[in-house]
Amino acid sequence: MTTKARPKNRTARAGVPLAVQAMEGQWAPKRIGSAALHEQLSYRAAGNPPGTLPTTAISNCFPGLELDFRNVWKKLFVGIEMHESDNLVVGTDLDPEEIRNLRFHRLVKVVIPGPEGRIDQPLVINVHGPNPRGRDTNFGPQALEWSNAFAYLVAAGGKKVTCEFTREREDNPVGPDAPTRRMTLLVRNFFEPGSAVIARDLVEPGQLTQSLCSPWQNDYRECACYYWAASRPDYVNVEAGPQGPSSGENWMQVRGSGAQQYQPDDFSSAGLLTYEDIFRRWEKVLRFEIAGHDTD
Amino acid sequence: MTIRGLRILPPLAIARLGSSPEPLENYDVRVAENDPPGFRKIHGAETLVVDRHSGTIRRSYTPKSIRFKDRQGRVRPVAPFLEVWADVDGALVPLTAALLAKNKLTIDDVEWRAQVGNHKAFRRTGKAPDRIDADTGWFRGHRPHPLAGQCENFLDGKSIPFGDVQFIRPSRRFPEIRLRFTPPKGLIYGAVARHRKADVADIVYDSSRGTWSGYSDDDAVPPLIVTNPSSIYANTGDDRTTSRGYLDDECDGIVEVRIVTSRKKPLQAFARIGAGPPDFAPDSFPVRTIADDLEQALLGPDPKDDEVSSAWTEEIIRRAFETVRLQNTAALNGNPLEGGVANSMASQDAGLGRAEEPIMAPAIVDSLALQALHQSVFAALRSGSAPWFGQVLRQYDDVGDLTDRGRRRMPAMMRGSDGLHLALTRRQRNAVLGSGNQQATSEDARAVTFTAPTTPPGKETE
Repeated sequence: MTTKARPKNRTARAGVPLAVQAMEGQWAPKRIGSAALHEQLSYRAAGNPPGTLPTTAISNCFPGLELDFRNVWKKLFVGIEMHESDNLVVGTDLDPEEIRNLRFHRLVKVVIPGPEGRIDQPLVINVHGPNPRGRDTNFGPQALEWSNAFAYLVAAGGKKVTCEFTREREDNPVGPDAPTRRMTLLVRNFFEPGSAVIARDLVEPGQLTQSLCSPWQNDYRECACYYWAASRPDYVNVEAGPQGPSSGENWMQVRGSGAQQYQPDDFSSAGLLTYEDIFRRWEKVLRFEIAGHDTD
Repeated sequence: MTIRGLRILPPLAIARLGSSPEPLENYDVRVAENDPPGFRKIHGAETLVVDRHSGTIRRSYTPKSIRFKDRQGRVRPVAPFLEVWADVDGALVPLTAALLAKNKLTIDDVEWRAQVGNHKAFRRTGKAPDRIDADTGWFRGHRPHPLAGQCENFLDGKSIPFGDVQFIRPSRRFPEIRLRFTPPKGLIYGAVARHRKADVADIVYDSSRGTWSGYSDDDAVPPLIVTNPSSIYANTGDDRTTSRGYLDDECDGIVEVRIVTSRKKPLQAFARIGAGPPDFAPDSFPVRTIADDLEQALLGPDPKDDEVSSAWTEEIIRRAFETVRLQNTAALNGNPLEGGVANSMASQDAGLGRAEEPIMAPAIVDSLALQALHQSVFAALRSGSAPWFGQVLRQYDDVGDLTDRGRRRMPAMMRGSDGLHLALTRRQRNAVLGSGNQQATSEDARAVTFTAPTTPPGKETE
């Protein structure tokens, strides 16, 4: 690794995402327009390594690692609280009664006003695909993730929009064509006015991490899945194998335990780190990977 | 030079846990110019060394190399600085002692407050006394202020340390107003019952007051009120996934700054902070990040024409490549492996009722083969001949399409926040579509990459 820092630009380079320029240390403004919210959002403070930036935090949150971003949407509507990953209303204000009665109903659709006309935004899809006999099959409804489903709704912050809720309490998922009744709700501002900080009344301290695993170390062992490999790696120390295909190790394998052969993660295989290893010695046994290889 | 308002930048700062007393040094991560799809290079960058006692920045230096653990093998925590910027005549500039003086203020007029919480137990039990919260209250001065996590259901006198915050004393060389959040160590804390002594740093939770130890998602009413995925807490391994009552020191919250002036309202601002696990692959980045979601919320799903660029598209593909490079794609494809079958989207789909079969043709998904494939995408993009790429990206509302064609869209083999196949943000996808020729069809894409183009439909998984 070389040492010399490059001179820093004070203005952004056209085309290159600000987030990249910030990580590369090539964008360090001394002045930012007070209305330049994207610049404020992307700013990397002096002395901060790239790992402090949201650019390095995963957002395919099931449930996530650093934060569970899904929580930011729970209180988007004034008066109700949504489940972080479902269209289920889990909490309501006590008044008025019609709001209070929405508890455990499901939000099926939102009608979003826009400059080019209204958008009927469904919040539920049907999952489908071939069953074991090859026949296309409906596997049931599923709520869409909030971030993409509400992408146009954020601009309606401070305004009332029409929401379509199930007519009855629905403990189980319902499809996009479920009977609904309409209600008008106020949308909260996503950001504090005039700033790029997530609004204070949208999430309270502790809420952005509340649905992560407790403790997080447990998830590193238990999940046995690799959707966050750029933060929690899966396949490391990879080399071209003699037959052509690659060979390498599972990040969770005990190092030096034998020939370099990938071991699928199934919680209990010998040669893989155990819960106890990670609870008690995570700093020692979890390795940093630089250029795909163990490097502490 | 009248200060009209304040901001704290960055608006969201992520700290990363570690028990070393030496914070991680600063570095830049750069794409290698002679090897764009290669691993990014880590270069030392100006590192600020804080004297914890006085709160001053003692010196700065640029490290020759970056070590993520110290000599004792302890992880070096990532401890972010948060800077105060002043709104002066429509522009933000760093707030300094000199700017304060021009406004007849001093650094003694600057007050801070930090509030963080860990509501993991509360999220499960639904009982407010299970919230763990820390609040420094408003403070001045430059000593570290500990964030002691208090909880009604803790044993008397017990708390969980969530790290500390320190107002950095401005100096002639470093005159800016800033605060540093030093995160906690990454320890586990236990309850009176069900803990194993060696697992935990301390016993803090009073099992005679609260129900976290012994809690089970199985008891939730209605059942779907639980987290998704469910039962993600340390448990005794029984059929009910009974909680051991373990707690960690991850947290999130806000940092506030306030300056009381002669005006009616004080100048004030806040930012958000969080403390999570280390980034164990610091030269690689996720394909979809919290920054992408925040950008979509801030700027909308439709980038303007002058915002899209081939460099942005290239960065999205680079990140996909960086994830793929650290995945055993053969395992994640659902290929049978020596030693068993991995948990993958193929097996998750089977759990929904879909036929269990690999996502791509098994012969084409070896990690090195896919790396070569992504490199060819890079080369095509750079030569301006990859107009088809946008066509292979999954749309946000197609995540439930579990047909062969649907599952082979990009990003493939990854899981989204709803548990289904991952889609990029709509803004990311629109950026890719906006940066290239959209006349090509998905069949063009199919011929180039990601699927088995020569195998007849229906035979691909044999």
